[in-house]
Amino acid sequence: MSSGQSPKEIGEISFGLMDPEEYREMSATKVITADTYDDDGFPIDMGLMDPRLGVIDPGLECKTCGNRSGSCNGHFGHIELAAPVIHVGFSKLIRRLLRGTCRSCSRLLLTEEVMEEYSDDLERTRGLRQDVSDVTKAAIREARKKSNCPYCGEAQYDVKHEKPTTYYEVQQVLASDYSERIASAMQPDPDEDDAGISPQALAEETDIDISRINEILSGEFRPREDDRKAIEKAIGAELTTEDMNKLMPSDIRDWFEDIPGDDLEVLGVDSEKSRPEWMILTVLPVPPVTARPSITLDNGQRSEDDLTHKLVDIIRINQRFMENREAGAPQLIIEDLWELLQYHVTTFMDNEISGTPPARHRSGRPLKTLSQRLKGKEGRFRGSLSGKRVNFSARTVISPDPTLSLNEVGVPERVAREMTQTMVVNEQNIERARQYVRNGPEGHPGANYVKRPDGRRVRVTEKVCEELAERIETGWEVQRHLIDGDIVIFNRQPSLHRMSIMAHEVVVMPYKTFRLNTVVCPPYNADFDGDEMNMHALQNEEARAEARVLMRVQEQILSPRFGENIIGAIQDHISGMYLLTHDNPRFNETQALDLLRQTRIDELPPADGVDDDGAEYWTGYTLFSELLPDDLNLEFKSSTGEDVVIEDGQLIEGTIDEDGVGEFGSDIVDTIMKVYGATRARIFINEVAALAMRAIMHFGFSIGIDDESISAEAQERIDDAIDNAYERVEELIDSYEAGDLESLPGRTVDETLEMKIMQTLGKARDSAGDIAGDHFEDTNPAVVMAESGARGSMLNLTQMAGCVGQQAVRGERINRGYEDRTLSHYKPNDLSAEAHGFVESSYTSGLNPKEFFFHAMGGREGLVDTAVRTSKSGYLQRRLINALSELETQYDGTVRDTSDTIVQFEFGEDGTSPIRVASDEEADIDVDSIADRVLESEFESEAELEEFIGEREPPTNLSEHGESWTLEESAPAEGDD
Amino acid sequence: MVDESQHELVPDHTVLPEDEVEDVLEEYDVERTSLPKIKRRDPALPDDAEIGDVVKVVRDSRTTDEAIVYRLVIE
Repeated sequence: MSSGQSPKEIGEISFGLMDPEEYREMSATKVITADTYDDDGFPIDMGLMDPRLGVIDPGLECKTCGNRSGSCNGHFGHIELAAPVIHVGFSKLIRRLLRGTCRSCSRLLLTEEVMEEYSDDLERTRGLRQDVSDVTKAAIREARKKSNCPYCGEAQYDVKHEKPTTYYEVQQVLASDYSERIASAMQPDPDEDDAGISPQALAEETDIDISRINEILSGEFRPREDDRKAIEKAIGAELTTEDMNKLMPSDIRDWFEDIPGDDLEVLGVDSEKSRPEWMILTVLPVPPVTARPSITLDNGQRSEDDLTHKLVDIIRINQRFMENREAGAPQLIIEDLWELLQYHVTTFMDNEISGTPPARHRSGRPLKTLSQRLKGKEGRFRGSLSGKRVNFSARTVISPDPTLSLNEVGVPERVAREMTQTMVVNEQNIERARQYVRNGPEGHPGANYVKRPDGRRVRVTEKVCEELAERIETGWEVQRHLIDGDIVIFNRQPSLHRMSIMAHEVVVMPYKTFRLNTVVCPPYNADFDGDEMNMHALQNEEARAEARVLMRVQEQILSPRFGENIIGAIQDHISGMYLLTHDNPRFNETQALDLLRQTRIDELPPADGVDDDGAEYWTGYTLFSELLPDDLNLEFKSSTGEDVVIEDGQLIEGTIDEDGVGEFGSDIVDTIMKVYGATRARIFINEVAALAMRAIMHFGFSIGIDDESISAEAQERIDDAIDNAYERVEELIDSYEAGDLESLPGRTVDETLEMKIMQTLGKARDSAGDIAGDHFEDTNPAVVMAESGARGSMLNLTQMAGCVGQQAVRGERINRGYEDRTLSHYKPNDLSAEAHGFVESSYTSGLNPKEFFFHAMGGREGLVDTAVRTSKSGYLQRRLINALSELETQYDGTVRDTSDTIVQFEFGEDGTSPIRVASDEEADIDVDSIADRVLESEFESEAELEEFIGEREPPTNLSEHGESWTLEESAPAEGDD
Repeated sequence: MVDESQHELVPDHTVLPEDEVEDVLEEYDVERTSLPKIKRRDPALPDDAEIGDVVKVVRDSRTTDEAIVYRLVIE
């Protein structure tokens, strides 16, 4: 790929079979010896490592093209096979052709008219770009039904295919014991009231001469086919056996050679490009040595590639076959060798064929042959072409850094020294460039390579860096280290949505981990329990510009999945905002300044008032409002259920929590993003996170086991509630055992009992939770987290303080274990709550051993479910991506696939991006107000607007009735909207 | 018998006159066969639709009120 070559466009690719003559023509040499190197280590002429097949050793010249290793791609050779063998890849097509064509004249077993029909059908299907195999399969199916050839009249036999490469013709022939069979059928059978047939009667019925019948009965005469059929009909017995006649590859080749091209056309085969007889190999191409390089081991021994091993086998058998045939060996031996040759050629192409033992290496490892090189995840397509390892990438553990902006990523210095950016030296940056080179590869920010204008690349080393720096001139290129502000791409697998790969700005840092702001955890689905992430340094200006404009984190704040923000405050940020704005606490000047110190605000707003001691104070509302845009007006309901009101950028009432600033759709972040843009939203999220961290540190926030323990009085009430439930369960069981329980519609009595018990126990847990909830104050940290939406729910709180509740497996009470009972601690058929997994204790009080066991059962089901779900959804995702990957929105707004077939006439029916347009049933798009806003901003004065839109003259040509008439017309039209 | 094509969830399918088909094909610069397909047996099709016809499907859309799609009738 030398420079100066213009790129070429591929217009068309056509696939077909290859003519054996073509193999011979392109062959650099015929290969006849199975040996590779002679005793001196030189490749043997016409051997598998013939120098004409290409070069792998550096320094040597290719005997065919004269190029050296690296620039010579290698050249094919060929082996002349002693006998034709079947190509495994086409075994199905060979079977279809054998079944669909005449065994004598090789024509397709369909009349001209039928062929015409199928041809038309084929063309139509092709025109609609649908699968043609349905049509060709139907054609073969119909041809196979024919018992005689419509052209030559030859009787046709069924063809049996024994996988992978053996074909038999199944013929019905007269059984050798035909006379006994006839005789036994003619005997009277007393058990079945069968009188039998006398030879005379048989002769009469079959219209065969009586003497001939007697000859047949004595076994002296073999009946001909129509006689046989007549006798079979008369005596009601089968006289034939199946005869399997093996079709040798040479027979098949002869057969296929005579199939007319026009008949093949009907089967969707282009006979110009692919003659069917080419599916039976007479010549085997030998891949160039570059495709099967041998490696020299440490001890000087050469180790050959698997393909070479396989080719050695093929040549050996080929040679033996020829020798035996020339020596006139018996047919049996020839056939054995033929089969062996077939086996080796088959496994050379595919070594994982079912029913065939795989060819093995001496060590017992199955050989990796052609098909295995291409197939599967590690194969050529998925492993080497779709996915490749790349340079300028780094991977390491991630850890949090709340001081970074959400757009930034902390890059370890070691990584920054390895990843480089190309810097073209000019008059403006020459001093900087020299300094980078002077710093060398070890210092940061340094440089690793310089490129002179003549294209020579020089490595910067500690020794030469000083000297090299002086020689730098404009026009040189310097490969400098990553520095603060560079743009890189950052990714965490699995890359399930587009926010899994985003562009970040580099901040070079000490230590060995990538650092990221915690607010970008939700889009990456990252945490810091050992997660690793990948970074890619961009290598050209276009990529860097594209990444900065399209891929930067701030451009990805809105998710295309639901059109709202996916990035926002999380966890402690939410708790912090809640503490800051709930009940609107007051702060003195020092505290207020401390809270805002990590934001842009460096001057406090006027104080909200003066406290009893005469000191000024600021409220949480005021401090939070400092982060809001000055003209923001917003009203929404918070997750606590309060109304939040923001007027002119001031929080008037309500608590800021998850629904205000959180991830996954929060009103304030979403509004700022949509109204004020990505940059303002980024600043807001950063500052909210910073303020919230300061706030949570100001108040102090911790949780311990004592926070969730409750008073003896509350515990007593909970115990009462649970005892109450137990009693009700007992009552239910009693009435069930007495047979008084009435079943619910559509359920059995047993199911009804289970449901009612579950209901009762569910209520018991809820009431325990309510009692515990009443007991906790609003300042309880678990309550704060649940209320604000930071983490956990009231259910978690209930389980910690009140009662863990019923454990379930497959949505039912636990019903497994021993016969008629869950554990040996219970009596058989005990239906009580505790015997079926009701956990009365709370996590704080601790579970007893039986409860613990039931809890583990429920917990295990959850784990298994998640494991199964992830693997299932992963595969589903892969299939979905493969199905949709070629769809593309065109400039005319249509969505088309690669063959230009229209999939959607307008992207998503409306041609809009889900992140640019937000509307739902409640908030429809208000086109009028948008139009008004555009007009307002576009025209400075009313007069200009009037001038542009044009004054509307009142219509003058209307009759007196005209006005009322038009009004009537327009009225229903308006009602339609 | 229920006429499925009259169901409120089934959008309006009408056979497009030949001259309008030409306009559509020109607008999108496509061959007839590059249009999305619909089977002749589809109960939503009007009775007079034949193989090779182009039908115009008008769907209600929340965002654009009406979304128009053209489909080629195949067997």
